Parts: sequence; C-alpha cells; structure tokens
Amino acid sequence: MGTSRFPPSIWGGDRKRSAEPLSQLLLRLMSLRGRGLWFRRPERIPDAWAGSGSPTSPSPRAVELLFAAMQRHLGSYPLSPGVRVKLVSAGFQTAEELLELKPSELSREVGISKEEALETLQIIKRECPVDLSRFASVSISGKKYTALELLEQEHTQGFIITFCSALDNIMGGGIPLTKTTEICGAPGVGKTQLCMQLAVDVQIPECFGGVAGEAIFLDTEGSFMVDRVADLATACVQHLHLIAGSHLEEEHQKALENFSLESILSHIYYFRCHNYTELLAQVHLLPDFLLEHSKVQLIIVDGIAFPFRHDFDDLSLRTRLLNGLAQQLISMANNHKLAVIWTNQMTTKIDKNQSMLVPALGESWGHAATIRLILHWDQKQSRLATLHKSPSQKEATVLFDITAQGFRDVVVPSPLSPPVEPSGNPRKRSRDGREEE
Amino acid sequence: MATKKLTRIGLSQDLCDRLSRHQVVTCQDFLCLSPLELMKVTGQSYQGVSELLYVVSRACAPQMQTAYEMKLEKSGGPSSAFLATTLISLDEALHGGVACGSLTEITGPSGCGKTQFCMMMSVLATLPTGMGGLEGAVIYIDTESAFSAERLIRIAEFRFPSFFNTEEKLLSMSSKIHLYKELTCNEVLKRIESLEEEIISNRVKLLIIDSVASVVRKEFDTQLQGNMRERSNFLAREASLLKYLAEEFSIIVILTNQITTHLSRDLTTQADLVSPADDLSLWGGTSGSSCVTAALGNTWSHCVNTRLILQNLESKRRQIVIAKSPLAPFSIFNYTIEEAGLVLQDAEGD
Repeated sequence: MGTSRFPPSIWGGDRKRSAEPLSQLLLRLMSLRGRGLWFRRPERIPDAWAGSGSPTSPSPRAVELLFAAMQRHLGSYPLSPGVRVKLVSAGFQTAEELLELKPSELSREVGISKEEALETLQIIKRECPVDLSRFASVSISGKKYTALELLEQEHTQGFIITFCSALDNIMGGGIPLTKTTEICGAPGVGKTQLCMQLAVDVQIPECFGGVAGEAIFLDTEGSFMVDRVADLATACVQHLHLIAGSHLEEEHQKALENFSLESILSHIYYFRCHNYTELLAQVHLLPDFLLEHSKVQLIIVDGIAFPFRHDFDDLSLRTRLLNGLAQQLISMANNHKLAVIWTNQMTTKIDKNQSMLVPALGESWGHAATIRLILHWDQKQSRLATLHKSPSQKEATVLFDITAQGFRDVVVPSPLSPPVEPSGNPRKRSRDGREEE
Repeated sequence: MATKKLTRIGLSQDLCDRLSRHQVVTCQDFLCLSPLELMKVTGQSYQGVSELLYVVSRACAPQMQTAYEMKLEKSGGPSSAFLATTLISLDEALHGGVACGSLTEITGPSGCGKTQFCMMMSVLATLPTGMGGLEGAVIYIDTESAFSAERLIRIAEFRFPSFFNTEEKLLSMSSKIHLYKELTCNEVLKRIESLEEEIISNRVKLLIIDSVASVVRKEFDTQLQGNMRERSNFLAREASLLKYLAEEFSIIVILTNQITTHLSRDLTTQADLVSPADDLSLWGGTSGSSCVTAALGNTWSHCVNTRLILQNLESKRRQIVIAKSPLAPFSIFNYTIEEAGLVLQDAEGD
C-alpha cells in the first residue's frame, strides 16, 4: 500500500476525468473493490447523490454508489499508519464494518486510544457524502444547539399576552411561542374565553408588544361564538387606540390602521371538527396550511378531550392517537416557531371515598404539554389561575376576571370608593367579600 | 365524514381491496393506524404512505372558515340565530335569546317551572318571524310524561291573545309540535339518531328534551362500579349527537336537567368540586353542609354550552340564573309563573 495520498491515476492518462459517465465510474469502482488498491476519490460529488431520490427513498444510482463507498477499503482513507495497521490486524476491511461501532467499542477492540478512535470514525464519516443512518428518515429538526444559542433564542422569543397582567407575569410574559400549553378547568370557568382572547391578542402589532401573527382555531365542542370574539376584538382595538393616543410616534398610528375588527376576524382561521377523525385529519394537513399561511403564530385546539372521551373502548388506541397528535403539534410548534394551546376538561376521580377534580385523559396525558395552566374557582366564587407545570417559571396562583371586554385582571376597588350596595349580582358580592378581608 | 369509505375518495381499487382485507374500510380506520402499520398493510414505502395519508386527510378534514366569514353569515340572518324568550332582560343578557347551534340546559328543583319554560318556548318557536318566532316545527321528546297539551293552548292564548284569536290558529300551532314519549335511555338515543329526516321534512327549528336526567338516573346507579363510566359515555355520545344536529341544521336545542344533593362534610373542598355553574346554593338559596348541584355530573356540565338555573326563593318568588354562558356574565332575574307562562318581574331583577 502506497503512502502517498494521490497515487498515479489507475485509469491512466488524464486525471481530470470529471466527465466520466457514472456507469463507467461505477464499474471501475466495483472492479477495483477486491484488489485493495488505491483509487482516486472523485473530485466532485456525483450528482447522483443529490439526484432523483430523497434521503428516505434514494434513487437506485445513489444506492449503488453508497454501496461502493461502504465497501471502500480502509486503506484508502487518510488514516495514520499506526492506526491503520492495528485496524487491519483486528480484522476490519471496509468502511461499513467500522461504522457499526461506537468510539469506545472501537478503542477497546483495536487497542487504540479513545481520541484516536473518534478521529478515525470522523474521518470515515466525512468521506461519505450521504447520511449513513441506513436511509432512516432524516429529521430536519434534529439539529444540535448549545445552551448559549438557545438562551439567545429565548431572549428574543415572543410571548402572546393575555391582557391579564398578573397571569402574564407568572408565565414570564404570556403564552410562550415554540411551546405547548394546556389549559384545564371546570366547566364555565373561562377556558374558551381565554382561547378567544388569545386568538385576538396574537394579532397585536409588534410596536405594542405583540407578535403580529395569525391564529388557527380547531373547535371540537362548538363553543366558539363569533359575536363574543367580535366584542373582544373591538375592546382590544379600543385599548390599543388609547395607548397609541398617548404615544406620539408615527409607527403606532400606522400599525393601527391595519388593526381593525375586520382584519382581526379575517385572520382567525376556524375549523369545526365534529369527531376525532376530523381532528386527526386536520392536524395532518396543518403543516401544508402553515406553509401557505406563514404568518400563523398560534394554534388553538379547543376541547382536545371531548372527542376522545366517548366512543373509545380501546384505551390503548386512544393513548396512541393522543400521543401522535401531541407529537405532531409539538413538532409544528418547534419547526414553525408558533405557540400551541389546547384545552382539557376536568373529570371526577373517586379515590377512597373522596372525590376530586383532576384533568381528564389520564395521567400519561399530563406529560404531553410543556406548560399546564389550571383554572378554577375559590370559595368566594372568584376565578383563579394556577400555573401548575412549567419548565422555567415557578408554581403560582393569581386571580383573574372575565369582563365584557374579555379576559382581564381583577380590579380591586380602591378604599376611597363608596361602599358597594349588596345586590343580587354575585360578581359584586364577591368583590365585597374580598374587600372585607 | 369520518365514516367516508375509502373507495369513494379516489384511491385505486387495488389498494382499497388490499386495505379492506385488513378491515380498513373507512377514513376513520385508516387514520387510526400508525405509519408503520400502514406501510405493512399497503406495502408502500414511507413516502408513499405519507402521500396516502395526505389524500385521506384531505377527504375528511373540515372546511376552513375565517371568523370574519362566520360573522358575515350570522349578520345575514339575525333572526334565525336566536330565539327570543320574550323575557326581555334575559334576552338582553344573552345577546338575543336562546342561541342556535348550541346546547342550552334548564335545570332546577322540581316544580319551579322547567316544563312550563319548555312549553312556552315551543309556542314561541311556531310564531312567524315577524313576531319574534322561528316559524318552524318543534320536536318535543318527553320522558316524564309531563307535557300537557291544554296548558300549551292556554299559554298561547294568554301570551299572545291578539295573534291566537281564532281556534284555527291554535290548532295549527299545536299541529306543529311533534311529541315523542321515550322512557329508556336507549330509546332516547335511538330517537335522536333518527331525527334527521324529521327535521328536514317538517322544517323543525326547535328540539326539546324534557328531561335528560330522569331516564339516565333511573338506569345508571352511580354507586355501582363501572356505571359512572358508562353513564359518562352515554351522556357524551348523546351530547355529541345533539351538537351535531344543532349545528348542522341550525336549530335550537333545549334540555332539562334535575338537581341532586351533594353531601360533603368538608365545606372547604366544596369550591373545588363544584363551580358556580353547578352550585345552586349560592344563588340566594339555603347553604348548609350539603350543597345542591345540577345532576349528571361534571362531564355533562362540560357538554352543555349554556346553563340556566331555575330556583324557588319563597312561595311565589322564583329566580332564573344564567350560570354558564359564553356570552353573558352571571345574572339573576326574578320571575313568577302565571297563566301566560313565565313572566319576569323587573322590579328586583338585574
């Protein structure tokens, strides 16, 4: 075996053979296989690699060439001679055999140090132009990050505000993008109201602190009320006009020109799914929809529990379908940098003669969402929101209120205001109760 | 749409035969399999299976509408979106009345006027649109045999004396109300499943089930193991059928429910268990160591979209409470029951 990297051309004659037809090149490669001779690496990666196939179903030509590369003799790689000798004496002949091993195993078997083993494997992998994971599907999102890069990303990441500043604070700014959030709650506590509010808030222009995105609403329960959304949108527009009035900058006024009731409603894309099949089908089709509508920053599934809670005798099928759904939503959140929210119901769990309310769909479903928000009542009939699970914020509970304008903070009346007459309205009653505390 | 057969969506006959050998006949069956199973069953590569999934999903996915389009649709026909109850403050709070396309529940203790309310709404639905009605027929599923035709006529006469001045009009109104007596859960479910044809042929605009709770509570004893689950399943199925009917045909669905006493020893956990949507003891009633809630449990509370609670305060005074509504805040109105049905008393109402 020669030690020079570029032995005399075995094809003889001109070295620059870039115009060699691939079939002939292949024949030569195959014929040289068994002879243990050097052969010249093609200077240009043949187009067949990038040809008609995809990583998951490569074209036949690419398969042949890959096979050829795998069968390439070890001697043809630029390895250090000592290592090469040891590899050969251990019985390794071709690249294929080496790549099945991990660096630690290689170093043990051959008798070289771990760094040398890693270097060897890297050299061999570098020579091969196609991902050698045996045509397994190449994941686009399987990129590697350092924590520093992620930190930078997180700092610039947007949040969707909820208009309840207490809730936004405990969540670190609002509903985060690229993450999945679950909202659980008893009936009537305000889950759909929060979803409708967020569908409006995601469209707030950037100069007001929003993300200027659009929203997709997948409704399984039929609780989406257009009139209510119109009310919320009008209130939001008015609120922003007030803010813009106090800022004399041009850009605020200009941004508001496009932010009207009509434009808000036109950018909420609504799908009514009557059963779980339609939900599954629509989620399959969402990636294509997102390609067409690239400004979508929020996907809401209102009522992920409802279609799965009846008609299912086979619980393992249900778990599998739910997990698949969650995986697809998570991957969409990551790839398209949007926020995904789903609402869950509460169910009664009977445990040793004591019954309590727990989120529906079982224990395993609790792992699906990254962030879990539970909405509930307290004794004085005020509404509370508890951040139950979050990777970066600590558990906390705040009060919130739902007014005619939508999801808001609870307004604690100042002590100077005249005492409110107790009347039949329980909302007023509860405020009194808190004042007395 | 979910049960659409695969043969109809444009897949090759060959492929359909192959799939049917593995009992995959409808879109639903197809989408329930994982990609690996699909590859085995169809014999295609991953790429091929992804394409097939796309085709099948396309065939049964719902249509998209923007919220703006929905709003335009609604404002095109405002009268058909709600049925005004003619209890004016209640209608104002509910932004028009009882909403189309969603489930409304009336619940309360016995004898406070639920069936009266239902009969009143039946009369209102048959009125011409000029008078605030829907000019349509009514389907009334009665499980307690509480419907009284004579009372219906009296309500009509006293409420709209100028309109129902001839006997002919009264008779034509009562002929538009189709009554079904069902006494078991299964019969009720079967009846709901078969309603589609009636709704289309008779131009039905209002569906009343009085009451949902009585049949369910007769047959499912929640103390027994497993019954709780079966009951929830049954109710969820019923709710999804009703929601489908309500939305597909844009009709009003009114359901009645009963109440139950929730005996709990620990008052502090009460609030966790029971939301104001369920808890009747808050609304001026007596509170004690037991709390009174709407029957049928948590699952059912999730299924209904609007909940109105009727209560007795004292001998003649009663209250109607909006306990759960996507459009209205909590509100209380006082009413009495008179010849003409329910009548609001504006003096002390909200």
